Amino acid sequence: MNILEVEDLHKSFKKGFIPKTYNVLKGVSFTIPKGTITGFLGGNGAGKTTTMKCVLGLALPDKGEIRFFGDSELSTEVKAKVGFLPERPYFYDYLTGEEFLKFYGEISGKFKSQFDLKARIDYLIKKVDLQHARDRSLKGYSKGMLQKIGLAQALIHYPEFVILDEPMAGLDPDGRHYLSELISETAKQGTSIFFSSHLLNDTEKLCENLVILRDGVVQFSGGTQTFLGQMGRTSHIKYQGDSMIESVEVENGEPLQMKIDELRKASRTIISVSPNITSLEDAFVGFAMDKKRENL
Amino acid sequence: MNVVWILAKNTFREIIRDRILYGLIVFALLLVGFSLALGQLSFTEQARISGNFGFAGIHISSMVLAIFIGASLVAKEIDKKTVMTLLVRPMSRLQFILGKCLGLTFVISTVILGLALVMYFVFLGLGLEVYPNFLKALWGILLEAILLLGMAMFFSSFSRPMMVICFSLGIFFIGHWLNNLTYFSEQSESEGFKSIAEVITSVFPNLERFNWRDQVLVEKFIPDDLILATVYSFAWFSFCIVLTSFIFRRKDFG
Repeated sequence: MNILEVEDLHKSFKKGFIPKTYNVLKGVSFTIPKGTITGFLGGNGAGKTTTMKCVLGLALPDKGEIRFFGDSELSTEVKAKVGFLPERPYFYDYLTGEEFLKFYGEISGKFKSQFDLKARIDYLIKKVDLQHARDRSLKGYSKGMLQKIGLAQALIHYPEFVILDEPMAGLDPDGRHYLSELISETAKQGTSIFFSSHLLNDTEKLCENLVILRDGVVQFSGGTQTFLGQMGRTSHIKYQGDSMIESVEVENGEPLQMKIDELRKASRTIISVSPNITSLEDAFVGFAMDKKRENL
Repeated sequence: MNVVWILAKNTFREIIRDRILYGLIVFALLLVGFSLALGQLSFTEQARISGNFGFAGIHISSMVLAIFIGASLVAKEIDKKTVMTLLVRPMSRLQFILGKCLGLTFVISTVILGLALVMYFVFLGLGLEVYPNFLKALWGILLEAILLLGMAMFFSSFSRPMMVICFSLGIFFIGHWLNNLTYFSEQSESEGFKSIAEVITSVFPNLERFNWRDQVLVEKFIPDDLILATVYSFAWFSFCIVLTSFIFRRKDFG
């Protein structure tokens, strides 16, 4: 089952004194399979945050369909199963960390007793390493601390699906590590996670699936390994040499085909042809460059 | 626990922890305290002077709360983007608005009761009689504040806080002027003026319907339109909230 299905989503905004229409989303379609961590990639202004807002009902799409958990529309029942951390979170700075989580826990309607809620707060505060600041007002929290407590509020009600907009932004390496661990652990418990990020190393480590957006259109949607395989610039050919197995690295595309033909003509046995997996960062940059070239 | 109730509790806590509220309370206390000094200066109209100042302090502070805090109640949530983490929770946009309004109404009620208590001690200090009808005057102040809060919420659904304050103050002044307008239109011979006055009196809420502050001091007056005034206030409030919710439902956030 898919936890989220987005089909042909369009969204435009009007801006300026003489209103000019900006088409931000131009037919976005993708699916998030249940129980996966899916990364949402794209440059600044690609439409990631707008897509997330449309999915969560914070922005009303011009056109398109959004279905949760198979076939449900966004309702209060669906909202009770979804958690969200916005980009650059601003929270109620007059609340302490604990009061803040208590408020969101109560509002979720998930907890039957204050005791259960307290236990969940204790667990999450420990997980995000904020025990020392639980009684401190959010006014005194640093950006990273706000990000952590924000993630805790997104998870407070044991959501089945969590949407995180740039959860790692502004965190130090230690903070990123904590958050990655928490995201991984949450996914292992069966929660599906959809998050946007510009930090591709973390995304590569965490995500099984990717959705790549460019100029309001989905350019890729599928497995991370498939994407990396597609974006490998070179491949390795292993073949039987005169006396031993030899290998050669060839650029993908025509050079690769020519090399294979050449080896066949020379009656060499080809053992394997495997694409060289590059890092997500290299693959993403390469992909973006390719798309840019295509559009020229 | 109901979502509206939880939101109201949080809004109450938000305003109570805001320093602006304390500035306002100090101002109101000064005004009520001033009534003590003025009351002592007068020999014949002690109760009336002290009562007028006391009620004025309570009236002004509750109107300032309803208009000034009401104007930024939702705008602050949108500006700080806290609305984004709230509206994705299991609640409707109407529940969100009602929760915010209820929280501010709790604050206004608390301020009215607190200041009324101070006024009570001022009256005791001056050896003046305190009539149970004073409570009705206080109820009138609360009804007026609720109506103006509804108006402020409606204006804030399509304009910035500064404009909301201007519009709401306009409603406040027009609302208190409607009885005079009706009187002048009755005296006037101009049909045009009468028609305009009729339109104005039917479009704007008459806030003098909640003003029993003078009567309870002078005539020990028992307002007989208490229930009607209560219905009038809540009808206006509900009308404003329905319109606000209608506009709010079509709003994009972030």
